[in-house]
Amino acid sequence: MADRIADIWGARTPHGADSPWPVRVDQYLAEGVPEGEVQWVPSACVLCSNGCGMDIAVHSGQIVGVRGRASDRVSHGRLGPKGLFGWQANNSPDRLTEPLVRRDGELRPASWDEAMGLVVERSRQVLDEHGPLAMGFYNSGQLFLEDYYTLSLLVRAGIGTPHLDGNTRLCTATADFALKETFGTDGDPGSLRDFDLCDTIFAVGHNIAETQTVLWARILDRLHGPDRPRLVVVDPRRTAVAREADVHLPIRNGTNLALLNGIQHELIANDRVDRAFVDAHTVGFDQLAAIVADYPPERVAEICGVPAEDIRAAARILGSADRLVSTCLQGVYQSHQATASACQVNNINLLRGMIGEPGRTVFQMNGQPTAQNTRETGANGDMTALRNWQNPDHVADLARIWNVDPLQIPTWAPPTHVMQIFRHAETGSIRFLWIVGTNPAVSLPELHRIRSILAQENLFVVVSDAFLNETGHLADVVLPAAVWGEKTGTFTNHDRTVHLSVKAVDPPGQARPDMDIFLDYATRMELKDKDGAPLIPWRTPEECFEAFKRVTAGRPCDYSGLSYEKLRGSPGIQWPCNENAPEGTERLYADHQFNTDTDYCEDYGHDLATGAAHERNDHAALRTNGRAILKSTHYLPPHEAPSEEFPLLYTTGRTVYHWHTRTKSRRAPQLNAAAPEMWVELAAGDAERLGVREGDLVRVESARGAIEARAHVSGVREGVVFAPFHYGYWDLPDGGATDGDPTENGATGDGPGGNGRRRAANELTVTEWDPVSHQPLFKVAAVRVEKVADGGGVPSPAPTTTTARPVSGDAPGTSGGDGVRETVEEAREETR
Amino acid sequence: MRVDTAISEVQDAELDLAKQLHRVRERHTAEPDVHHLGNTLAHRCEEHVRRLAPFAERYGAPVREPHVGSPRLLDALRRKSGELLGHSELAGPLLLRDLCDLSLAAHEVEIAWVILGQVAQAVRDRELLQVVTTCHEDTRMCEKWLRTRIKQVAPQVLVAG
Ligand code: SF4
Repeated sequence: MADRIADIWGARTPHGADSPWPVRVDQYLAEGVPEGEVQWVPSACVLCSNGCGMDIAVHSGQIVGVRGRASDRVSHGRLGPKGLFGWQANNSPDRLTEPLVRRDGELRPASWDEAMGLVVERSRQVLDEHGPLAMGFYNSGQLFLEDYYTLSLLVRAGIGTPHLDGNTRLCTATADFALKETFGTDGDPGSLRDFDLCDTIFAVGHNIAETQTVLWARILDRLHGPDRPRLVVVDPRRTAVAREADVHLPIRNGTNLALLNGIQHELIANDRVDRAFVDAHTVGFDQLAAIVADYPPERVAEICGVPAEDIRAAARILGSADRLVSTCLQGVYQSHQATASACQVNNINLLRGMIGEPGRTVFQMNGQPTAQNTRETGANGDMTALRNWQNPDHVADLARIWNVDPLQIPTWAPPTHVMQIFRHAETGSIRFLWIVGTNPAVSLPELHRIRSILAQENLFVVVSDAFLNETGHLADVVLPAAVWGEKTGTFTNHDRTVHLSVKAVDPPGQARPDMDIFLDYATRMELKDKDGAPLIPWRTPEECFEAFKRVTAGRPCDYSGLSYEKLRGSPGIQWPCNENAPEGTERLYADHQFNTDTDYCEDYGHDLATGAAHERNDHAALRTNGRAILKSTHYLPPHEAPSEEFPLLYTTGRTVYHWHTRTKSRRAPQLNAAAPEMWVELAAGDAERLGVREGDLVRVESARGAIEARAHVSGVREGVVFAPFHYGYWDLPDGGATDGDPTENGATGDGPGGNGRRRAANELTVTEWDPVSHQPLFKVAAVRVEKVADGGGVPSPAPTTTTARPVSGDAPGTSGGDGVRETVEEAREETR
Repeated sequence: MRVDTAISEVQDAELDLAKQLHRVRERHTAEPDVHHLGNTLAHRCEEHVRRLAPFAERYGAPVREPHVGSPRLLDALRRKSGELLGHSELAGPLLLRDLCDLSLAAHEVEIAWVILGQVAQAVRDRELLQVVTTCHEDTRMCEKWLRTRIKQVAPQVLVAG
């Protein structure tokens, strides 16, 4: 039995590019469960965007464990720590089991009728007095496709407001926009199998080892195999990924674009460009070449703070790759000039002519498990089925399928992003906000501002969630939601693999699936189509899925060839799946024809520097003819730079053991024990200057607030402070009442620090976003650090197993994930 | 030949736009995109003026210097009132008005570049034409960004506000 808290990625099964990734089935059952009596229900993991296929173990009506599915194309049987242990949150005794309604200032239990009655009454009142623009909806990246599609139709055609976004805005909006800018539509072109086949990996701001552990296990098996791919890593922290790299570029946060321009400078200057491919399949090369000409390695070295020679070395590796897989994530998406930088990663593969073929692709990775579905269904800032909101034909088509007047669908401007939704609420023009399965009171930037908005008198807040989190505490109505394992539905990972997750157990108490809650609301609101029939005709997840198939037919994310039957227990099937490709499609753009036709594309594109939206004529003038678009722009310094007052750069990120604001992972004992408390990371040099030793209590302060946490001296870049973003207030020993409970002191909009000790990383972050994707900036802020109390030599609570590995090695190793069975299978036929 | 006039027109219009952008960004500190992009765009205007300086000299146009210096008292006051305004219901209408004013100012710059571009061609000044082409494109992006933002804010202010 393995301890998969201590050994995050599990046993190695090395292989070369010429043989398939071996199967290793990981299983964890709660202690004492009689394995023979367990019933296995097919599902997939919803704790990150990898979406590993798994079966849920059920015994006596309870979830008692999980195992990876050997045939699964994503995981080949593996599960990571979150997948193995996270399910225990379902059984947590503090689940929400009945609706709550605020009366006399307190949340009190109520019946569904009472709670929904109140939600409907207030919706009607706001709609009558102020119209649909006073209504806002903010949802999650962890629901199922069926939940999202129901919500999308309800809000866009029923309520008719553009104010619908998902928390995917915080994680993958930039992936979405970068794909649209370059390739015409959303959808990652490649296959996870490309990691098995490549000879070079370029990871930009992507800590794969902690964000998608099974994918990192997959890559490790190549790195430790016979024909090791070369690895270039860009990350200001010395992550587990960086430790494996041939070249690690620990650049200053906020300078991605300068670096990527510099690398392209080298590719062009050293004639490492596939000119035939570029000429035949791209537009925009001349402009790109003119811009990157300004970024010779010496200049870039100065901007980014890494040696020019290392930049050259990185470019040489990328320039000599034959099968290059590039990948990026939050280090790009949540940083300065996010979309512009993500587009340059696309460009690098295009300059090398490496896309659409085995081992040659670029991944604009997702963060959350079902982020792809918010985008496809249009429950975030997109139109359903990758339609273009600026294209009247696309809107008319959607209106025809939905049987509503096209004018009912708000398309006069792009769908409103969450930061703007909160801004409208702040100035009072949004008066009703429904928050579904997400926790903005901890996850959005500049928390004191967010708390004060949520607490505003004139804003009616509805929260549906499985647990009462920090946001729920500020709500007027709280609705108990069912989660994964308690409802049936589908979801899609970052390589377009669709899985069906089958209901394994009943939800606790009166909790209901989100889709059912939306359907109930739509019925009570009497939302109708233009012939007076109910706007949302479905009642079950499967009926909803069938409707979604119809709305995606002919679009890039074509689901029309899929069915619940086909998906049940399958290895996972990649869209597009239709008559022409009944088994799905492993790679997009195999013919190097991209989705950039003006009539077909999802977006007419943006000016990367300002975010100015191009219009139809601008796009048509590009004469793309199915060619990809090489977008380019100049590096600009971040708006908030270190100063005398705030001399250090601040960045936030995750730890492998937690998910989001720990709503689930805090309730899985092994995961919680591995990373129980907030910490902040300092570089050894900075710590010494500040007189801080491992474990000391420090105060980190920005212009917006302050937090206190124990210092961890780690391999972060000098001048940079790192804070994990998971820790909020709900689980503090005194329930948070005196220690930063949002309802106690945040609501009054107290200044920096407040009157309690704060610890959430987002107290310090800045209210700013990327001009194109509108993804908030979590990776660039200026702070100062001072020591508050001596730690007495006790090390910080940071896990020792990953990036946070201490620089001096006397902390006890993180462990406690015993009881996992790993079964390596003999070589078997490759599954797609 | 009145090439100097065409250059001065552009420079004056750019400086005026820069001034307005600075004002608006200080007034709307609670709108981060306006606040930050306002700064970037204002600096672009000033950069344009600088790029025209050698041509101003060549054609005998008066020297125009972008205003540089620490934020003045008025800016600080604007910033303070911007912070107070941040929560007020008036913030939206004022933002819309400011964006419309900016859009008009940007349009003046744009037309001034069109004229200078014509003049540069007529006098066969290839160097000048090159500067005009890039700067003109920047101005068009600025206009376009303003249009994008106005489209988004107008219904919220005028229908829901
Ligand atoms: S890699 Fe992601 S999807 Fe797979 S088991 Fe881990 S958390 Fe779940």
